[in-house]
Amino acid sequence: MPDTEHDYFTGQWWKRTDVKRHAVLWVILTAFIGYVGTEVQVRAMGAPASEVMENVINLMRIFTWAAAPVAAFAAAISIGALMGDRHHGDFPPPESEHAIRNSPRAIALWIVVSALMCLFALVVGMIALQKDDRSLLDAKAIHINVVGQQWAWNYDYPGSAGVRSEVLHLPVNQPVVFHVTSKDVKHSFWLVQMGVKVDANPGVFTETAVTPNKIGTFDIRCAELCGLLHAYMQNKVIVESKADYESWLASQPDTGKTTWTEEKAAA
Amino acid sequence: MSTTTLNAPKVGIIRHFNVFTAFALGALTAFVVWRLGLSFLPADSESAPLFTREDKITLLSMIGWFLGFMTGIGALVAPFRWVMGKDLSHDENMFLAGKDLGVKRYFRYTTDHKVVGIQYLVITMVIFGIGGILAMLIRANLGTPEGGWIHPQAYNSIVGTHGIVMIVGTIIMVTGPFGNYIMPIMIGARDMAFPRLNALSFWLIVAAAVPLIWGQFLGGISTGWTAYNPLAGQSPLGMNGYIMFICIFALSTMVAGANITTTVVRMRAKGMTWNRTPIFIYGVVASVALALPAFPVFFLSQILSGMDRALGTSFYDTARGGSGWLYENLFWIMGHPEVYVILIPAVAALMEMAPVFTRRPLFSFNVAVMGIAGICGLSVLVWAHHMYMSGWAPLLNAPFMLTTELISIPTGMLFLVLIGTLWRGRLWITVPTMSIFALLWNFMIGGVTGIYLSDVPADAFLHGSMYVTAHFHFTLMGAGLTGAIASLVYWFPKMTGRMLDTKLSWISFWFVQIGFNVAFIGMFFVGLQGQPRRVEAYAAIFNKGNLVTSIGAATIMTGMLVLLAAVIGSWRSGVKAPINPWQAKSLEWTVPYPVPLENFATLPVVTEDVYGYGRKN
Repeated sequence: MPDTEHDYFTGQWWKRTDVKRHAVLWVILTAFIGYVGTEVQVRAMGAPASEVMENVINLMRIFTWAAAPVAAFAAAISIGALMGDRHHGDFPPPESEHAIRNSPRAIALWIVVSALMCLFALVVGMIALQKDDRSLLDAKAIHINVVGQQWAWNYDYPGSAGVRSEVLHLPVNQPVVFHVTSKDVKHSFWLVQMGVKVDANPGVFTETAVTPNKIGTFDIRCAELCGLLHAYMQNKVIVESKADYESWLASQPDTGKTTWTEEKAAA
Repeated sequence: MSTTTLNAPKVGIIRHFNVFTAFALGALTAFVVWRLGLSFLPADSESAPLFTREDKITLLSMIGWFLGFMTGIGALVAPFRWVMGKDLSHDENMFLAGKDLGVKRYFRYTTDHKVVGIQYLVITMVIFGIGGILAMLIRANLGTPEGGWIHPQAYNSIVGTHGIVMIVGTIIMVTGPFGNYIMPIMIGARDMAFPRLNALSFWLIVAAAVPLIWGQFLGGISTGWTAYNPLAGQSPLGMNGYIMFICIFALSTMVAGANITTTVVRMRAKGMTWNRTPIFIYGVVASVALALPAFPVFFLSQILSGMDRALGTSFYDTARGGSGWLYENLFWIMGHPEVYVILIPAVAALMEMAPVFTRRPLFSFNVAVMGIAGICGLSVLVWAHHMYMSGWAPLLNAPFMLTTELISIPTGMLFLVLIGTLWRGRLWITVPTMSIFALLWNFMIGGVTGIYLSDVPADAFLHGSMYVTAHFHFTLMGAGLTGAIASLVYWFPKMTGRMLDTKLSWISFWFVQIGFNVAFIGMFFVGLQGQPRRVEAYAAIFNKGNLVTSIGAATIMTGMLVLLAAVIGSWRSGVKAPINPWQAKSLEWTVPYPVPLENFATLPVVTEDVYGYGRKN
């Protein structure tokens, strides 16, 4: 004799009308949350300017769709509860018909599914992370030193010991490794539409790498509070064709100030 | 000797101490120390850093304030007696407990846990009021992209002060008022294990508040609430206010943590086994027990920061062998457990209320305990996810991504318990009931956005943007504060003897929840568009999102003001509450209002847990 008072999964539980109603609600909500969640977020992020950023957008899509069934499940049960047995007033309704305190199957299923989803998120993240990390070692990359100071960025270019600019110029489809440091406090070097960021710490160099794949002008912002004019510590990155980049670099005067060295490029 | 003891006044020097003597003695000591410092501290030599002498004087004056205040409130009487080889008499202990003192006991070093609970409730509301005003100032400055009507220095200070004030407010919002007032009654105890430490933990917060306010007049806290070095090192003297504030607050948290943990472990009623201990108690203990290892690290990080400023050390100064990464590590070793210190008791309070308002047993008590324990365990292993982009240890990003994402499993357990309890319940529609739904909604958004942030490549885009700000507001405010307001509605009748005005609390609930979602979904949007955090001006593309956020913020403010009106109005002249208005089964609903000094005439014996709703067979 199945005990209907002590578990949800008793008899042919899948045939109960309330279970079916929740299942339908769940499917609809999954589609809705997944679609709205991805579209709104992806639209806000705008057009990517590098493969790294394309990967970030894909990760946002994957995670949102993976989370949608979970969120929809909680939402379906919540809506089901709100549509169900409701009581108003100053006095409590009579106690419920059942006294279910446990459901080993529901709990086991929930924990297994959440562990698998966690594993999935981890694997997806590791693959993307490994791709990002490998780009730091790209032998074809050019190396640019980025120096942050209150409240400006300076860029030192390879091969031409004295070229230093306040607007970043990059050749399109060329892997670049940035060596980032700071003269004073902590800053954070953020190439917004390219989806990369690394902190600029005084006294040490940190690295990040990207291959811009669109010609155009994009944003660089400081993403770490660095004092009075932090909000204004932003400038542009101009991505141009290889020829344009070369001619721009050749046209720059030797400022006599640079942090760029051969050893650092080789490192 | 014995005759003098008999003839001595029943209550000695203790009767002269109260909040006024505390403020007076604190201010006097601070002034004297400041004056002495000015006269006797040598001037800086040419080679010494700019602020050293002023830093020394400021810090010493603040320490003077602290010692003067604690003496003036009477915190040192009992320790002093012990040094003299004596203890307080029974009459003195009763006086300290606030016996027959009426309203005056709220302004004294009172040990009764119910007085401390009310004191915490009031100070939490004051803190939220201040933090809320600062939030509205931030939104006002962000009304136009150019920003500008507040000076950037002041703006940065407002952002930092809003941050730290709200963090402190949310840390104490559940464990302070309800952990002190309700918890001992709920476990069937007469008071806390260490009543004097209880009074100490509260008055330390009052003592801590003054340096923070003081600092606002010395250049403010222009570093954000994280006070990262080396920026903190080059900040004006106001930074010392932050340092003192954190040190004293950390002491308060440690003292409260030791007290609450001991109380729950040692003083539960007969028969209240761990299986019969309400889940709210688990939440409170988990929260303060997690704070026990976390806050000493916070304390240490600020001591080192103060030494760098005032004594010329170089813990965080890269040029002289230190490291800013050291500060970041110390800060986040506190900072990540700290978010669960805030969150766990709020969620546990709603888990406590769920069976009451669905009139059925809590679904899977064991999973709830496992979830809380799992979060506590993992939360000390995830701190460096705040440092993915810092460059500190890129090779550790993958392991920290693992531990961070593992937290989703115990967090999911808390969700399971709540939705399992809603399933096939009989909903009694009240503000706490709807708060459960609000928590599920807000915490789901906060949790899922946390998955994006835990992922290193996605975080490379999102870190340091408004997306992060929106994310933690969804968890700490959307989930945490929702639980705290539900607790206020739920336990208000026991704490004040009156029901909280139903109509006003409903109005407040909807204003706060709708305003909250509007505000922070707008903030997610500008974060994804690329707006960094803590900026006082922004590019024109962020206009719309910021406008939406400001409208939402104003809605929240309206809702919170309505709640304040409801609290004040109902406290003064609300409907008298019956002894057990929610027909709940936990012990705090068995005692009358006003709750007698030692709670129970006869200590209760517990024979079953508090979730025995529904038809038994």
